[in-house]
Amino acid sequence: MIDATVVELSRWQFASTVIYHYLFVPLTLGLSFLLAAMETVYVTTGKPIYRQMAQFWGKLFMINFALGVATGLTMEFQFGTNWSFYSSFVGDIFGAPLAIEGLMAFFMESTFVGLMVFGWERLSKGQHLAVTWLVALGSNLSALWILIANSFMQDPLGAHFNPVTLRMELTSFQQLIFSPDAQSKFVHTSIAGYVTGAIFVAGISAWYMLRNRHMELAKRSFRMAALYGVLATVGVITLGDALGFVAAQAQPTKLAAMEGLWKSEPAPMAFNLIAFPDQSLQKNEGAVQVPYLLSLLVTHSLDGSVPGIDALERQAAQKVENGIPAVLALKTLSTNPHDIAALAQFKAHEQDLGYGFLVQRYAPDLEHVTPQQVQQAARDSIPPVAAVFWSFRLMVGFGLLMLAYFVLAVIYTLRNRVQHQRWFLRAAVWMIPIPFLANETGWLVAELGRQPWTVFGVLPTWMSASTHSVGYMVFSLSGFVLLYSIFIAVEMALMVRSIRQGPDEPGSGDSRSAPRPAIAPHPAYAAARDPHPEG
Amino acid sequence: MKTFLYFLLFMFIAAVVILLAAMLGDLGAWYFAWLIGTAMIVLIAAAGAALLDTQEEQAAGRSGQAPPRPS
Amino acid sequence: MELFATLQVIWWLLLGVLLIGLAVMVGMDMGVGTILRYVGRSDIERRVALNVIGPHWDGNQVWFILGGGAVFAAFPLIYATAFSGFYVVMLLLLWSMIVRPLGFEYRSKIADPAWRNVWDWSLFVSGAVPMVVFGAAFGNLFLGVPFHFEWNLTSFYTGSFLALLNPFAILCGLLSLALSVCMGAVTVMNGAEGALHQRARRLATWAPWVAVVLFAVGGVWVHALPGYQITQGPGAGIPQTPLQQTVALAPGAWQALFAAHPLLWLVPILGFAGMLGLSLAARAGRSHLAWWLGALAWIGVIGTAGVSLFPFLLPSSSDPSVSLTVWNSSSSQLTLLWMLGFAVVFVPLILWYTSWAFWVMRGKVKAEQIAHDEHAY
Repeated sequence: MIDATVVELSRWQFASTVIYHYLFVPLTLGLSFLLAAMETVYVTTGKPIYRQMAQFWGKLFMINFALGVATGLTMEFQFGTNWSFYSSFVGDIFGAPLAIEGLMAFFMESTFVGLMVFGWERLSKGQHLAVTWLVALGSNLSALWILIANSFMQDPLGAHFNPVTLRMELTSFQQLIFSPDAQSKFVHTSIAGYVTGAIFVAGISAWYMLRNRHMELAKRSFRMAALYGVLATVGVITLGDALGFVAAQAQPTKLAAMEGLWKSEPAPMAFNLIAFPDQSLQKNEGAVQVPYLLSLLVTHSLDGSVPGIDALERQAAQKVENGIPAVLALKTLSTNPHDIAALAQFKAHEQDLGYGFLVQRYAPDLEHVTPQQVQQAARDSIPPVAAVFWSFRLMVGFGLLMLAYFVLAVIYTLRNRVQHQRWFLRAAVWMIPIPFLANETGWLVAELGRQPWTVFGVLPTWMSASTHSVGYMVFSLSGFVLLYSIFIAVEMALMVRSIRQGPDEPGSGDSRSAPRPAIAPHPAYAAARDPHPEG
Repeated sequence: MKTFLYFLLFMFIAAVVILLAAMLGDLGAWYFAWLIGTAMIVLIAAAGAALLDTQEEQAAGRSGQAPPRPS
Repeated sequence: MELFATLQVIWWLLLGVLLIGLAVMVGMDMGVGTILRYVGRSDIERRVALNVIGPHWDGNQVWFILGGGAVFAAFPLIYATAFSGFYVVMLLLLWSMIVRPLGFEYRSKIADPAWRNVWDWSLFVSGAVPMVVFGAAFGNLFLGVPFHFEWNLTSFYTGSFLALLNPFAILCGLLSLALSVCMGAVTVMNGAEGALHQRARRLATWAPWVAVVLFAVGGVWVHALPGYQITQGPGAGIPQTPLQQTVALAPGAWQALFAAHPLLWLVPILGFAGMLGLSLAARAGRSHLAWWLGALAWIGVIGTAGVSLFPFLLPSSSDPSVSLTVWNSSSSQLTLLWMLGFAVVFVPLILWYTSWAFWVMRGKVKAEQIAHDEHAY
């Protein structure tokens, strides 16, 4: 048995490090394609302002990228260091996309990012543009493989449990990568990154416009970000809906928690706009409902319905009963893989193996499982409703807010009037944190809603962690908190500093004192950097 | 000869792209949508910037000033 | 079954290739970090040294990440057992490694000498510590690590953190540090001129001798260690868990493969030859040649360890029978096959575009360029 405190601390460590990592990733995903767009304009029109834009936003990109890489490094190894049972149990499937991510995407991204920064004078225009596009493609392909791995945790397709090797094994690679959850989650997440990049660029451009600095750069950046952002936001919302639809099929408990749906009800079901779910009483306080809406949202019809938590708990209790013989058979098979009777017993009950593990938490030897323990395990199968419910509502709220913002932004910028809407520019600066919050609440919905499983319906969280001592976990968790706090302080300081400095323009970065006719060709572009030192 | 080799190369690339697109369209409709959608988003953003340049030139032309020179 | 066993061996070899890639490519960057304060006496010299690897360290570092991913995909039980067992050491490794990207990216953004000093030291730590840990981890494989399994393969590590830093492991750690310093020095020679180049050259001339001595001492030491031997088990190419075999300690078992195939002695000889050649080439100022000889030295050293240990990957000192081998800790046949497909396509592609990146950025880094270029490190 693993100490419950160790599991809890391992969860806190994973959650805090991944939430932290995920502050930097979406900006990389989105800003990289925006850089590619700017450079594409530069190469097609030949106007140096767009090169200056690509270089300036590229500088901010790199400050962010460094921390994304650094914190991603620890994630790649944390499955092994802290979730060792999980890793050996599903490594046959889960490891593959992580390795492919390195082979196919991260290598490309990281190799070309060096050329993107250092290669301006050494590559032709076309080559450099290709490099920038490859960085953008590479970072988003990284996200693709990571999310394929994540989707396996949500909906374990293309795999089965092998009682000889005591682990999950791959049965179909195609099913793994084309799983509906992987598809919709990748697109949802990737373009949520675009939204993040767009709001970042638009917000900082607005800040410059408020101060009448770098107007040419700011107006163009804002225009590009606004168009990029509005389309991406529409996409994110569409895919969010698709993802909800997928979850309704694959993870009914997650969906029920997202909607605070304690009791099953006949169609058409009402949507809880606001409610205060109480897990122990299994009901909502102060609910404000919109009739019909839930059926429309999750089943795309008026006569569709989804099961409530009461029904799901009853199902779970049956599965727990059915899963117990599977675990017992497995125990026999562990010492003798050729035991025919045990194999037959296992085959008969294998689809509920995970639920057997769920009750093992309360009855480690599974010899005398009481009805109370079965009930307890069934209750465990429901994620923390209030947290999932509210994370979901916050995420959706932020999403709609960003949509409204971008629609206005597009209207203003297409009329080329945005620089005169000072209230809107101020709002744009304040919008910068919103996509980050939306991304993190989205992560919470996906991963808290998956509880109590690390692999949905197959492997409970309580048995997935490494068997460390509490002392080790306190040590590592405090180490991470300390290091990461220093990092974020340094990063924010440098980011703010670079933004204040602005793009390097001839003369100074400050045009308040002396209004100058737009941008002159940059002397540094013809700078003495010898591209072919060896002749 | 060189033209012919280029022709072969591009025909090959086109064939691979068509094959991949057909597969993706079949098995991974959302992945396919992402490919198309991302290209579209980037190009529309780029076109928006080009449009801004034109707008600025026109505005400058109307007000009778010398056109600003972002180029 | 034949296919499965073949795939297991192929993935063992591929793992070796990835580890060598990691040692060569990450090792040279870390070497530059380690020697930064020694070869670079002024700020501008240090900046030149950093900018020599500036365009490449990010790509090179992926060898480390890919190494982790490949172990996860091909030998998940190793990934799970080793990394959780080596917990505190892994944390030291990761914490020192995550400082590195920031060191490169943030150091030169602010001109304050105190700021730059802090990052120089953190680059030293993040260069030296991971290389020592990397070598020490290998050293512990020869000794065995105390771990065992429950019936469902939950692993329990029963050793202390300090036991992982035993004399033999530290010797191996120093060997890997020495090799990375050699490669770092050669890399600085490749990309820098003047006093910086001369100091690096001096270092690259004598540091390989340290590696030669450490490698020789290590070899003799391993001869005296008892090795591990599978006495009974399902064998290669059969799906199995580590609970179904028996393993015994036997003197000379780590040399068994060399005894059976004397040609394999070429592998350690290659290691020595690479180190000595590196020293001579560096002295002659042939830094590119020296770099390739350094890569050969790494191939020799890692190859020697691999040949010694095969088929063991992670022997258990407290319960030898659950020792992890190529046969009982690999992924399933289907996973290995798919992963092989991806590796066959993408590893050559990676080598190709990495070479292109080096070719584009070829030549010497000059101090004046750095002063002009706001993107430089």
